[in-house]
Amino acid sequence: MGLRIGDAVKAVSPATLQRTGAQAFLRVLTGVAALISFLIIFLMLFFLIYYAYPAIRFNGLNFLTNPIWNIGNQYGSGVTTRNGFSGPPGASFGALVFIFGSVVTAALTMVVAVPLSMMVALSLVYRVPRRIRPLANALVELMAGVPSVVYGLWGLVVLVPWIGQTFAPWVTAHFGFVPFFGGSAGSGNGLAAAVFILALMVIPIMVATTRDVILAQSNSLFEASMALGSTSWQAMVRAVLPSVRSGIVASILLSFGRALGETMAVLMVCGAAINTFPQNFFSPVNTIAAVIVSQLESALTDATGMAQRSLAELACVLFIITLLVNIVARGIMRGADRREGAHQ
Amino acid sequence: MATMTSGLAPKTWASRAWWSLSVACLVAVIGVLFAIFAFVIARGVPALKPQIFFTPTHGIAGGLSNAIEGTLMLVFLGLILVIVVGLGTAIWTVEFAPPWGKKVIRFMVDVLAGIPSIVVGYFLYVALVEEAGWGFSLVAGSLALAIFMLPYVVRAADVALTNVPRALKEGAVALGARPAMVVASINFPYALPGILTGVLVATGIGLGETAPLIYTAGWSNYAPTLAPTHSPVGYLTYVVWTYISQPFEESHQLAYAAAALLMIFVFLTNLLARSYVEYKLGGNRQQ
Amino acid sequence: MRKTLVLALAALLLASMGGRALAATDLLETGSTLLYPLMNLWVDAYQHGNPNVQITTQGTGSGTGISQAISGVAQIGASDAYMADAQMASSPMLNIPLAISAQQINYNVPGLNNVHLNLSGPVLAGIYMGEIQFWDDAKIKAINKEYGNKLPHTQIVPIHRAEGSGDTFIFTQYLTKSTPSWKAGPGFGTTISWPAVATAVGASGNPGMVQTCQNTPGSIAYIGVSFLNQTEKAGLGYAALQNQAGKFVLPTEPNIAAAAGATDKATPPDERISLIFAPGENSYPIINYEYAIVNPKQSDPAKAAELKKFLDWSLSEGQSSKFLGAVHFLPLPASIQKLSRAQIAKIQ
Repeated sequence: MGLRIGDAVKAVSPATLQRTGAQAFLRVLTGVAALISFLIIFLMLFFLIYYAYPAIRFNGLNFLTNPIWNIGNQYGSGVTTRNGFSGPPGASFGALVFIFGSVVTAALTMVVAVPLSMMVALSLVYRVPRRIRPLANALVELMAGVPSVVYGLWGLVVLVPWIGQTFAPWVTAHFGFVPFFGGSAGSGNGLAAAVFILALMVIPIMVATTRDVILAQSNSLFEASMALGSTSWQAMVRAVLPSVRSGIVASILLSFGRALGETMAVLMVCGAAINTFPQNFFSPVNTIAAVIVSQLESALTDATGMAQRSLAELACVLFIITLLVNIVARGIMRGADRREGAHQ
Repeated sequence: MATMTSGLAPKTWASRAWWSLSVACLVAVIGVLFAIFAFVIARGVPALKPQIFFTPTHGIAGGLSNAIEGTLMLVFLGLILVIVVGLGTAIWTVEFAPPWGKKVIRFMVDVLAGIPSIVVGYFLYVALVEEAGWGFSLVAGSLALAIFMLPYVVRAADVALTNVPRALKEGAVALGARPAMVVASINFPYALPGILTGVLVATGIGLGETAPLIYTAGWSNYAPTLAPTHSPVGYLTYVVWTYISQPFEESHQLAYAAAALLMIFVFLTNLLARSYVEYKLGGNRQQ
Repeated sequence: MRKTLVLALAALLLASMGGRALAATDLLETGSTLLYPLMNLWVDAYQHGNPNVQITTQGTGSGTGISQAISGVAQIGASDAYMADAQMASSPMLNIPLAISAQQINYNVPGLNNVHLNLSGPVLAGIYMGEIQFWDDAKIKAINKEYGNKLPHTQIVPIHRAEGSGDTFIFTQYLTKSTPSWKAGPGFGTTISWPAVATAVGASGNPGMVQTCQNTPGSIAYIGVSFLNQTEKAGLGYAALQNQAGKFVLPTEPNIAAAAGATDKATPPDERISLIFAPGENSYPIINYEYAIVNPKQSDPAKAAELKKFLDWSLSEGQSSKFLGAVHFLPLPASIQKLSRAQIAKIQ
């Protein structure tokens, strides 16, 4: 998989063939496309950080440790000044609740969604009859096409009452001894609802990619494993899936990003906790993305502009979280690859 | 290829149980989808009359013609942008990029997926709508959609192109094909279903987001003009998001009708695209 | 077959675009979701007599309305709250009231949703601060002689708006003006730092408030009066609130009008005033002006002229119950209308 066309060409053909017009043209064209992608992302991040800088100075490290988010008194007089930058009187921006909420929500979403997605993908590849396969595939991909607002609405009208009145009471009654599941059953708006909805939103991404990479594989690994005596399930899970691991991990990282960045659907069902941490799986929670959307309105009326910049700072924190997760995931993958290499 | 060679290995009880569980998961997931669709249709049915395709929104309800046209235009332009840039990026990453280039692009793209849609929308609002003075416009809206869809297209194409079997590529090169031809005639057709998946998933996600468009395309009660700037455009998700929060039944029905239309549109597009690809490439791929 | 389909689609597209008037002036209104339904009704009726102007309405939020009116992207910014002094200092805008809106306090108390409980500012503040936790708390019983003993021992779930909103603004103003401990604490604003209460829940949008209240027995929520029909359909009760005179009044038209009448003489020429907790025996304590935030210096004279025409129309024909009745708003008192017209005249 590491073979590049360029290497093969150099090895096989005379040097003159390397500089053909078609290759150079393609190289430049696609290079420009890659440059555009890079620039767009880089510019957005750069301006985000640049815009958030006054807030970073104003809030200091307190931003990461303070659980209180106080936008201050827009209608008061005077300003609060810290480190040379001013904000509305009484303002104290602390993002701890939202950071915690984002990480916990996204992590739990993946815990629920990854196994489910693998199961669904496997059944789509191996168990669904050929004729209805396009239909089944289209249906699963349709889940990605449901507007996030609709997920939020369905969540609020159908899912939340079910969680609040049926599911949560049942769980707290029967599994109350498990640390995270005991306690109050809540109103339904909360972590559980957000996780459920987010899982629905990321499953199609992982299912579609996993299905595609399995289908692109040759059958030889599967057959070899079966010939050695494993059951079809073992052959699938132990032999084929690991070989397409990198593609699956790519989709998992993408899905984690989506779970972190989803705004509307989460906002409608998460319970929008301000200044409180979730007590259990059913308590209200809040995520950075949802807070940015919900606080933007009020931030726009802040004459000092510090509220908007603090929201930009929040977005920067989210960006850093995504960055860290990606670095860690890639580190784990590299470690796993190295271990496998040693065995081969 | 993806067939079960039965009779070679014992199908133990455990294996059978796992496979049944996998099908149960599929059924559960599709079941939820149907529940959501039924939810939307049931509430939108009173508004789903033929004239919503021909009347624009007016007053507290009306029709959806302006939103439908706007959505189509925005998605069409957005898709052109994202396919050109995204596919090009993926090809460069897989075929021409040095190892550090691969890492950088993949990293950046994953990070982009984690940026909330509202940040993309607000960034473009400040940059294009205010600073550049374009106002709410078709261009700003399509750009917002394209940026938001980019990670899914790039990653899917990346993974699909990477998974083209080495043997095929080596064979083509051994036969004397130049790199560009190899890319065009071998890589591409083989990776096409994967790329298509990425595009379809990206379209679905892009169509379903409101935040990026509210700040770039704005909203318009009237049919979209072809003017690229200074002319706001309507789109279906706005109707869903905003008309739901009005205190009138007719508004709610229109909102659910818009949601239903969106879902039907995504579903039909997916189905048609997939069937077309399977029909065209049925001979080449081992299914 | 495919070609004809494409041609048909293109024809449809062109035909619909042709319908758009060629030399029309475009106006953009954006902002408060509370004023949005009324704007839609107004614009729809106004267009019939004025086909040469195309007004687009958006329901985005008061903050967006103000900021886009300031930046010039929109001509009319709809807002439930007047602009703060600090913001006015940097961007002097016209705050023009167009109608009067009110807010009710809804609750979902099993068995008592069809009667009107009495609630006061201090009691509500206590609920939202977490000091009053159960419906049969002594403080609630003290102001409810009639139904006191029917109050159940259910935990109160205070629901607040998740996003910034004019509803939060007027609700917290009521708490601020009636309860000193709230004034010293959270204060008022379109968004505040809600006290940490274990059971508190945030809902998104007024419909979210209605739905969450409906879903949760024991909950209490503040909801705009334009949603009266929805709350009734959802089976929620609404409270009689204690006003400055100490009486408990319901959000009926006469009571809202009484509150408006009590404050109209105090309204300054720039019309930035709070109508909350108005004096008077029958004044309902939570009412507010619905504002159009307009830049007195418009960039386009043609748009400015059309803008003034539309705003004047909304103050004359627009005040009819045909429009206001659908959203349960009240028309402006005559003296306020005069002030508003004076402000409109300043638009250039």
